[in-house]
Amino acid sequence: MARVEYEDVWKQFAAQGAPAVRGLSLDIADGELLVLLGPSGCGKTTALRMLAGLEEPDRGDIRIAGTSVVGREPKDRDVALVFQSYALYPHLSARENIRYPLKLRKMSRAEQDKRVDHVADMLGIAHLLPRRPAQLSGGEQQRVALARAIVREPRVFLMDEPLSNLDAKLRVHTRTELKTLQRQLETTMVFVTHDQAEAMSLANRIAILSAGELQQIGTPDDVYDHPANLFVAEFIGSPPMNLLEVTRDGDTLVAADGWRLPAPLTRDHSARELTVGLRPEAIAIGTAGQAAEVVAVEPLGSEVIVDVRVGEKALKVRAAPAVRPQPGSTVHLAVEPGAIRLFDRSSGSAFH
Amino acid sequence: MTAAARSMVRTNAPRRPRAHPLEWLLIHLAFVAVSAFFLAPFLWLFGAAFDENATAYIHWPSAPTFNNFIRIFTEHDFGIALGNSVFVSVATMLLVVVTVSFAGYSLSRIELRRKDWITYAVLLLQTMPLSATMVPIYGLARQLGLRNSYLGLILIHATIELPFLVWLMKGFFDSVPRQLEEASWLDGRTKLRALIEIVLPLARPGLGIAAGLSFLSAWAEVLMVIILVDQQSMKTVPLAFYEAMRNQGGYTEVQYGVIAAMAILYLIPVMAVFIGARRLMVRGLMSSTRGL
Repeated sequence: MARVEYEDVWKQFAAQGAPAVRGLSLDIADGELLVLLGPSGCGKTTALRMLAGLEEPDRGDIRIAGTSVVGREPKDRDVALVFQSYALYPHLSARENIRYPLKLRKMSRAEQDKRVDHVADMLGIAHLLPRRPAQLSGGEQQRVALARAIVREPRVFLMDEPLSNLDAKLRVHTRTELKTLQRQLETTMVFVTHDQAEAMSLANRIAILSAGELQQIGTPDDVYDHPANLFVAEFIGSPPMNLLEVTRDGDTLVAADGWRLPAPLTRDHSARELTVGLRPEAIAIGTAGQAAEVVAVEPLGSEVIVDVRVGEKALKVRAAPAVRPQPGSTVHLAVEPGAIRLFDRSSGSAFH
Repeated sequence: MTAAARSMVRTNAPRRPRAHPLEWLLIHLAFVAVSAFFLAPFLWLFGAAFDENATAYIHWPSAPTFNNFIRIFTEHDFGIALGNSVFVSVATMLLVVVTVSFAGYSLSRIELRRKDWITYAVLLLQTMPLSATMVPIYGLARQLGLRNSYLGLILIHATIELPFLVWLMKGFFDSVPRQLEEASWLDGRTKLRALIEIVLPLARPGLGIAAGLSFLSAWAEVLMVIILVDQQSMKTVPLAFYEAMRNQGGYTEVQYGVIAAMAILYLIPVMAVFIGARRLMVRGLMSSTRGL
């Protein structure tokens, strides 16, 4: 268990033009589950690998429990990493795979076996221990990899997209298990994913990266309700936030087709070009308000996503399952003033 | 699939037409002829080795005997040659396996500038004809006192095989996922230990091939033995074989039975290594390709 800190960490690979990680600073609390989220190539895996010692930062410092680990061999960092490919040793049985990190410790064979059995019981894989990785399904391999990480009782767990090779149902199931497990073990965990739903459901806090730079760090509610910039606004949420280019007219904002929105202005942004962000659930379909044409209706069981068009602008609206407007018909949209988010269009950053 | 669909698939599958009897006969006659051509020398070997009056023609001995085998040990010091050969070949094999493990791994994993040039330079070395470098090798061995020594033979035989085998092992190491090694480092291993515990076992088919080829090469190589060895106590099987053919009565009175007996003993380890390496290769391939 340990606090993990990144301080102005930079990393550039020789083969690439732009730095993979630029000036990353993070402070991860002891026992926290932090998710590094971003599209592929955003530097999240590089950030994780630098913590593991598989890459060295060009600049900056990385500390575990207050001590810098830069320049230390991976073996001396006391961190466990679960790889996307699981990286199980194919020539060893599941038992030997899990026992492998314990073998160098001053621990009797019986004690090692006891710990392997304990972790295997915890993850429900006791019956798989004699098998080789090739004889295990993807989900079973994933559990063995997890067991190999847990058995060590490391200071920090690192997870590099460990769920992405599982089928959808198992992925959601394992996600819940992983969260419960992390809470039980109270071990700091850094989890890398490109799946925003996975990030939202797992994280204590989410750090969103793009092009090597930290965009925002906050709780799942924070990043969902108050995205720091347009990138986060579009990346978090499914369907993502609707973005409308607006001009200012007194105390109202005017969007496409003359749609007038109340401006939640707390400061003077008069000189700036603005973009309004509206979550699909911030728009209500009713009898009064801006007219919009229904393009399509996507019933999802617990809710309905209505695709509408205001002028040329396409929007997605989340509605109750009973709302089933006919495609081609006209509906009226109302917006809750408190749910309107404002962004500076040129810099992309949000006004709060 | 329904039963109807299955039967359709079966009838649609291409069926090999039955061969005409004459065609069948011709094909098999051709096979027999080609096989006879390749098997004839071995037939001669077995005939001659057990025949005290062997000739240059295939002839089954009228009174099969082990006398030829006894004579090569009593009259031709074949025991010494056999012992020298086994020692030199096994030592060459060990040296090659250790060297290609580290060299192949380095070429596969370590970031070097101009690594592709180095890799191709290594391969270029392999294409050089050995006889072209015979004279400098002789001179060098004399200067360094490596003539008539085990070390000289081992070093030369290893050098002959190394370029190709380093290159081959690089390919096997390339096929071992890096993440397995990284997992091992994180599980508390040094880089050397991860190489030994994780990477080498997975590159076992390559090591099997390297071991087999280097042993066979050291066992069979004649040219370097002839230029490096002239002491009776240091001679190896190829040299004993060569001498038996040249010195015993010259070319006119070749003792075919003795030569055949030597040849059979010369061939047995080759067979053994081939079969052993083949099994290792199959086992290694299975463990390294599945489950990754």
